[in-house]
Amino acid sequence: MRIPKSFLYQLIIAFIISCILGVLFNNLIVNLIRTGIGINFKWLMRPAGFALAETSLPYKPSDTYAWALFIGWINSLKVILFSLILATLLGIIAGTARSSSNLLVKSISSLYVALIRQIPLLLQLFFWYFVAFLSLPNTPLEPIGKLLSLSNQSLRIAGVNISVEFCALLIGLTIFTGASIAEVVRGGLNSVNRGQWESFRSLGLNERLGLIHIIIPQSLPAIIPGLTSQYLNLAKNSTLAIAVGYADIYAVSDTTITQTGRAIEGFIILLASFLVLNLLITGSMNILNKLVMRIK
Amino acid sequence: MKFIKKNLNLFSLKRWIRNKPVDFIVTMFLMLLILWVATLIVSWFILEANWNVVSDNLDLYAIGSYPADQKWRPMIWMLSLSTLTIITLTWRRKGILQKSLPWIWILMLPSGLVLMAGGPGLIPVASHKWGGLALTLILALSSAFIAMPLGILLALGRRSKLAIIKYSCGIYIDSMRSVPLIAILFFGQLLIPLFLPVEFDINRVVRAILAFAVFAAAYVAEDVRGGLQAIPKTQVEAAEALGLNPKQIAILIMLPQALRTAIPALTNQAIGLLQNTSLMAILGLVELLGISRSLLANPNFMGRYLEVYVWIAAVYWLICTSMALLARRLEQELDPNILTIKSNEISN
Repeated sequence: MRIPKSFLYQLIIAFIISCILGVLFNNLIVNLIRTGIGINFKWLMRPAGFALAETSLPYKPSDTYAWALFIGWINSLKVILFSLILATLLGIIAGTARSSSNLLVKSISSLYVALIRQIPLLLQLFFWYFVAFLSLPNTPLEPIGKLLSLSNQSLRIAGVNISVEFCALLIGLTIFTGASIAEVVRGGLNSVNRGQWESFRSLGLNERLGLIHIIIPQSLPAIIPGLTSQYLNLAKNSTLAIAVGYADIYAVSDTTITQTGRAIEGFIILLASFLVLNLLITGSMNILNKLVMRIK
Repeated sequence: MKFIKKNLNLFSLKRWIRNKPVDFIVTMFLMLLILWVATLIVSWFILEANWNVVSDNLDLYAIGSYPADQKWRPMIWMLSLSTLTIITLTWRRKGILQKSLPWIWILMLPSGLVLMAGGPGLIPVASHKWGGLALTLILALSSAFIAMPLGILLALGRRSKLAIIKYSCGIYIDSMRSVPLIAILFFGQLLIPLFLPVEFDINRVVRAILAFAVFAAAYVAEDVRGGLQAIPKTQVEAAEALGLNPKQIAILIMLPQALRTAIPALTNQAIGLLQNTSLMAILGLVELLGISRSLLANPNFMGRYLEVYVWIAAVYWLICTSMALLARRLEQELDPNILTIKSNEISN
């Protein structure tokens, strides 16, 4: 019987891959035995012992590590959700402004995109946190009476307290992601045939109505995939929360790993929580995509 | 003069207000806003900003705590990098220079590593003394150098007909792309020692480079795959008809075209990689952003956040913009339409 050549190749490659993985895992186990750690998840049920600055659900230091990690995950979800909405609005405005007939509007939005995309996000977050928020006075500023108060500890809108860490992260992520979304939107608008613009103009529709009823609906199929990948980037970038001291899932697992020394398990939990976040985003974007396709 | 007059007449204020009132209001509002922001910025620059924190520490920003008596080494390297960038961007080049420029670019990384780390005739300098812009550039260039071939292999692997290769490449790419970079970097610092034999000890800079490289490779792979998908099927069929084997088709026909198509996307990745090296500031390396953090912790420069951040942002902006320009230059050089024009000129 003749064995096909490709089958042999695959066998050899499978052998090489398993050899490499085997060596790596052997080293891992040797190292784990040497340091006496081992792998298990029982520590998740032990009291965490650290306080969290930001809690959306009731939490006290005597609660378990698992609960602390869950609070961190909820915090991540919170900041992702809000900056996702704001960045989309900003991106749509800046992206459509790029094809505006007003020269000033056009150049401001080009300047915004060119500036923000060439500066590291981490630096921008430092700016918003240390320069914009921490330099505010200690005593709250109240520009419009009791409705809004702003100090270097918190922002208070209509009785709801928001930490400056959350604000800095929210603004930083929104402005950074907004610039990328603006590029996606611009690409989508450009993908619509020029003839469509000319037709609605010749039919006497004004720019705003034409954009809303003719151009944007046709550009959505080109925009949504780009938007999805920007949202996934936003979720990944939200882990820079640790730089401004916001207790997101990464910051909490960082503290947990430093306290317990459980690097491998911590990494697995972090991966799993990101898997869920990514599935949430891609899942809802797929539903949106189907809706758009049906309208079309 | 006549032209300006004519245009002013065309867009005369009255007509503008009458025909496009919203446009007029928006423009006026934006003008006022720009004026206000500009006054704020100018008054800060003139009245408040104290640039001592920048001018007193230029060496630190450039090379970190690299030994002072050896500082000419990274300085020369960075100087030649910027000269090379300017030459590539400005000179209309012909003959020898055109042929040698790619090779000089390729030589920049090894020469940089030798100059920084020490080699024949140079005193070794341990990597924990590297810092500042020099470290940022070394991190970005070396990880890009590893990530590029790895990414190309992964992209080819993902299109392979052999199931095992296809799926292992796919799993690697997708899982890397779903994890935040900081997690990879953190666990690179923490876990790489765990996966290596006990006696193996690799330093923090190398660990960071490896972590950046395995992360960036997954993104490079997707961009190259996009380029591969853009190649018309007829190209492969033509190559098969000419009797080329699969390896030759991949190397001679597919990759050159795919990489050229992928240049814009790869440029974005390279710029992203350079910006992302700033993440090492949180993980304890004193690259450009890290050094500014330690400067701000110095009591002499307490509270000078804005000056430092504006300065660092300007440096990053300059580097990223010149990378984008270099890539556009490369794209023009490789444009097939320009190539045919050139060969026509030669044959004429």
